[in-house]
Amino acid sequence: MTDLWSLFLSAAFVDNMPLTLFLGLCTFLALSRRAESAVGLGIAMTGVLGVTVPLNWLIYQGLLAPGAWAWAGMPALDLSYLALIAFIGVIAATVQLLEMLLDRFFPAIHAAFGVFLPLLTVQCAILAGSLFMVDRGYDFGESVVFGLGSGVGFALAVVMLGAIRTRLAYADLPAGLRGLGIAFILTGIMSLGFASFAQMAMSQ
Amino acid sequence: MAERVDFWATLTDPLIRQNPVTLQILGICSALAVTTSLATALTMSVSLTVVLTLSAVIISLIRRHIPESIRLIVQIIIVASLVIVIDQILQAYFAEISRSLSIYVSLITTNCLVLGRTEAYARHHTPLPAAVDAIGNGLGYSMILLLIGGIRELFGRGALFGWPVMPLADAGGWFTPLGLMLLAPSAFFLLGGLVWAIRSLWPDKTEAPEHTPLPRTRPAE
Amino acid sequence: MADPDWNPWRRLLALPNESRTKTILVAFMVASVCALLVSGATVLLRPIQDANRAAEEQIRIETLVSGIPGMADLLAQAGGTLSTAVIDLATGQATTAVTPDTLAAALADTSNWTALSSDADIAGLGRRPNFAQVFLLRDGADISLVLLPISGMGYGGRIDAFIALRSDMNTIAGITVTSHSETPGLGGRIEEAAWQAGFPGTELRDTAGDLRFAVARAQASSPYEVDGITGATRTGLGVTGMVRFWLGPDGYGPLIQAIERGEF
Repeated sequence: MTDLWSLFLSAAFVDNMPLTLFLGLCTFLALSRRAESAVGLGIAMTGVLGVTVPLNWLIYQGLLAPGAWAWAGMPALDLSYLALIAFIGVIAATVQLLEMLLDRFFPAIHAAFGVFLPLLTVQCAILAGSLFMVDRGYDFGESVVFGLGSGVGFALAVVMLGAIRTRLAYADLPAGLRGLGIAFILTGIMSLGFASFAQMAMSQ
Repeated sequence: MAERVDFWATLTDPLIRQNPVTLQILGICSALAVTTSLATALTMSVSLTVVLTLSAVIISLIRRHIPESIRLIVQIIIVASLVIVIDQILQAYFAEISRSLSIYVSLITTNCLVLGRTEAYARHHTPLPAAVDAIGNGLGYSMILLLIGGIRELFGRGALFGWPVMPLADAGGWFTPLGLMLLAPSAFFLLGGLVWAIRSLWPDKTEAPEHTPLPRTRPAE
Repeated sequence: MADPDWNPWRRLLALPNESRTKTILVAFMVASVCALLVSGATVLLRPIQDANRAAEEQIRIETLVSGIPGMADLLAQAGGTLSTAVIDLATGQATTAVTPDTLAAALADTSNWTALSSDADIAGLGRRPNFAQVFLLRDGADISLVLLPISGMGYGGRIDAFIALRSDMNTIAGITVTSHSETPGLGGRIEEAAWQAGFPGTELRDTAGDLRFAVARAQASSPYEVDGITGATRTGLGVTGMVRFWLGPDGYGPLIQAIERGEF
């Protein structure tokens, strides 16, 4: 469980967010039409997940978890029900901050990938990363690895789908399958492929 | 002067013609994960419809007074609060189903459908039409979810809502369940097939081809 | 020129949306209303949630014991109630410091938990409570059945269960799963009676004293294994880790030794 490398692999491949857990599909399908937008989305996802999951861990352990207020003399105070609102707030603020930082210090990168950042505020996958972190009780190191791993897995899946769909621009599809229909079928086939990773049992 | 809103059209459009999942590409995030059984699909549908309707009404009530700079976060906070309340209610009265839904009820917060409808409709209409639109979209979403959930549970376990419909071979019947139906890819295939069917029946909903080949001017070799 | 409106509420609403005052006030009001709503709902519903959980556990324990072959008669003899004790896991002795009623409060205090090193943490829990409430079924002076609460990380989240051991402290009499977040139809089948029926009679340790219990990948191939669930390997591994941890030296090991020595 605490083997960080196998956690990274399982977050990226076994529990792949779009393909196994159905997370982040809206932007996954919308931005995979072209390989370039797919790459931008993948990088943005990895960055935001890698930052927000550990940040939310700090907020959760410091303020919301049962027993977090023991230092103030209220050890029985359990604010974990506020986790959802807190996480969303942190994610929105982080995304905003990242965008401003990119714009100020790396304007070239901002021009290339920054347009995807505001989309990520309401991405289910980003919120899910933090919720899983609470559910599975990761510590700080594991949160970082889990965030990065999930982002890398998402990036991998979306870039692969983007590459395939770019090719499909020249395919003669039945009218009803064009666009959304074939994207679902493709995602299903990729998901079937990734399901083979499920046999990668973690060492006991 | 308020426009006359056609309530019936607002309610029924999202069922087929403007179905949020298959045509507007909204709300699929949490949709597919809970379709392994009809019970979870139904709970999710009801939860989302309730959250959607309540948030549409609330945001429509305060629509004139939301400052532009905090618009998005205000909407998100309202939706998140409603989701937390629904989650607590589920944990109190439907504990088992709540456990199998795990984090997906919480993910209604970021469901593109909820935010999409509040942005597109509730912010510009009075509460009653907003509520009707929300219920319509919720029903459209529920239809898809229940359809896929029903197919997956029926062929994956031979049951509907836990009631055995096709007796399993293990229990002495004739039906060997399709294990694939319980895994992730089946939901994608089913949804893709559904989209294909709907767009074939209503051809005006198809997308334009991205690349039209030039007409042949020379005979093929 | 209209007279100035003295109604502060209407003055607030009349402000342009983009003014700083209005932005701050709207933000503040939305935040307070939402906080009240959420906190109110949680505070109101928490007792119901706890009561439901307690009632469910009671029912499951009773079903578990009456479902074990041969135990239904013993249960009738003993009057249908089990004796219970809160034990200190480290020493395996009953503790007077904590009673079943105060157990929940005691476990809310983080000082009553022990952190686990990664080698010892085979159930994926991270930490282990120092106290647990166990149930003992007595046949005269001897203990015929011990019910132990166990938990561990499965595939989708935490699994909570009760495991019943026979008087030899090495054979499982039964298992019941009280809570899990596994995939319905796959890992979720750990809550089905059909799968749990594989547990009675399974042994934990071999003659050398090594813990050999495991959930097999497919069919059980030794007296120490139970059948696995197809497509739910990770859940099976979680259950194996859970049982091995709690019946090992960091879990109920000291308690089992104390019972074997006859101290109960």
